[in-house]
Amino acid sequence: MFNLLPAFSLGVLLIVMEGRGSAVNTPASRPVTRKSKSYGRSCVEAPSYFWQTPGHLTVLKVPTSRGAAKSQIITNKVDPEHIALLVKNEWKLSYVTPLHHFRHTQLKSYAKHLSAFIVAEKQQGVAVEVGLDAGFKVTFTAVLGLAETDEDAETVFIQIQSKPVFAAAADAPKVVWRGWLTCVNGDPEYLRSLPPDFVSLPLFCTSGPESLTNLVKSWFERAFDCNFGSLALNSSTLNWLAALWTGCHPACNIRYLKLSWSLPTEPPLDVLYTVNPQDAWELWNSIHPQENTDDRIDIKDVQAFMSGMETHFFRHFKIHLSAGTLLKVSTALGSAHHDGKIKIGNSDYITTLLALLTECALLKMPT
Amino acid sequence: MALLSPYSKVPELNTATVLLVENEEELQNKLANAIVQHEKDFNVNVRLAKKLPLPVENKEARPRIDLIVFIVSLLSERSLQSAESSLSHLHSDCFLGKVCFLVTDARCGSHTQERLVSVRKLAASHHCPVICAEHRTADGVSAAALRLLNILQVSAGMTPMSTTALYLSTLTRCSLTSDLQEDYLQ
Repeated sequence: MFNLLPAFSLGVLLIVMEGRGSAVNTPASRPVTRKSKSYGRSCVEAPSYFWQTPGHLTVLKVPTSRGAAKSQIITNKVDPEHIALLVKNEWKLSYVTPLHHFRHTQLKSYAKHLSAFIVAEKQQGVAVEVGLDAGFKVTFTAVLGLAETDEDAETVFIQIQSKPVFAAAADAPKVVWRGWLTCVNGDPEYLRSLPPDFVSLPLFCTSGPESLTNLVKSWFERAFDCNFGSLALNSSTLNWLAALWTGCHPACNIRYLKLSWSLPTEPPLDVLYTVNPQDAWELWNSIHPQENTDDRIDIKDVQAFMSGMETHFFRHFKIHLSAGTLLKVSTALGSAHHDGKIKIGNSDYITTLLALLTECALLKMPT
Repeated sequence: MALLSPYSKVPELNTATVLLVENEEELQNKLANAIVQHEKDFNVNVRLAKKLPLPVENKEARPRIDLIVFIVSLLSERSLQSAESSLSHLHSDCFLGKVCFLVTDARCGSHTQERLVSVRKLAASHHCPVICAEHRTADGVSAAALRLLNILQVSAGMTPMSTTALYLSTLTRCSLTSDLQEDYLQ
């Protein structure tokens, strides 16, 4: 390439130079290619697409195709009580970086420490003994069976119960906060590349008051040296969910496909586009025939599906939905909101949803 | 189909013409004002369009267009789709240094990153540069105008001793890192 720069200055133009000038040797033992970040790296580069795990370097790519949603009678593998807990609420999503020294065997002691921490934070300045029956009771449970592959760590479910202020002594404590950490079908190369002390449970779902969520997050950050961040679902994730859920229609009636858009007009226009499930399924079937023995769905199919819906809407209302943002997708199998809130409707397809969300969490996680 | 061609007309003395193509028509006006008001030693004509092809009626009266800028807003899919469909109305000679992509809202969170990658793939396949602009502040608009003016100066041939449009585009064209390129070449 040219080594001479033009004589006049151009301001800062974006040039992506690949490794020119930086002398980095890839060690022979590593199977993955190392991305060297030279100074010419443009700020256009999305930092969340490439990152380093502690001590190793891996590159995670956005997948362009994935397997179709498979129904699993999950109650075979997982305790139905646990499933009932997951299906009930609306969950707010965050991503977590890998946890250092997290042991699934020490859940009871973690529970004690967390409850002491919460009580201490609530009554700042007063010393609290670990193990005392304080106002908050925390339980950590391991939900076995949700993990898909060998590299996935087991899901951990956390509940915080407390007695309401004016309760009689005999009243049972109410659950005020729930949360769970999970990893379903995480990228196996990435998980294998983690150093042995780290456990990766990248998806964190919470339901309950924001103050308790922040307390739990800060306890985790102190105990396991990890970082939390909010996970927003971008439009391509929502598109995948719409397509995957529609594809499940013959096996399990999704009852409706609702898409909620927001158009940037003055004042903003909110569009709720409800589609009859049979029509949606016929559209999906014409794009990706079910007789296809190959189980993979390509992103082009998803894009064709969404653009079919958008063209139909345009034909009737002369509004281009692609000029706005897709905020929410919901079917009877669940709903997902752009801000990172999900609701699980049907436990049979829970693994597909969680696998997609785990992937989002892994991609969103910073270096 | 009449394609917009860069060399079919005779250039005017000390004048350069830039065409801003934007589907939303919001940044165009601000950018045009900033470009025209900026201090420079040559005359600049700014033409605005929503999409290509340009109307046939003004074909004779239109001056030679030296630089075509596609303004893409990353917050809407439609913006990118409209830019893509407009690209097919350009003569292939235009891609030798006369086309540039201007992208706005590239910093707005994770949902724009994938669109940014697709814009960069599009630009790389056509050998054009990509510039990011900040359109909500006056400073951002004037900075973008200055950069466009610099590129315009070269593509209009005002700086023959330093560089030419083809040379500049070869240097500044958007390139993809190798793993993105793998996806693209598949």
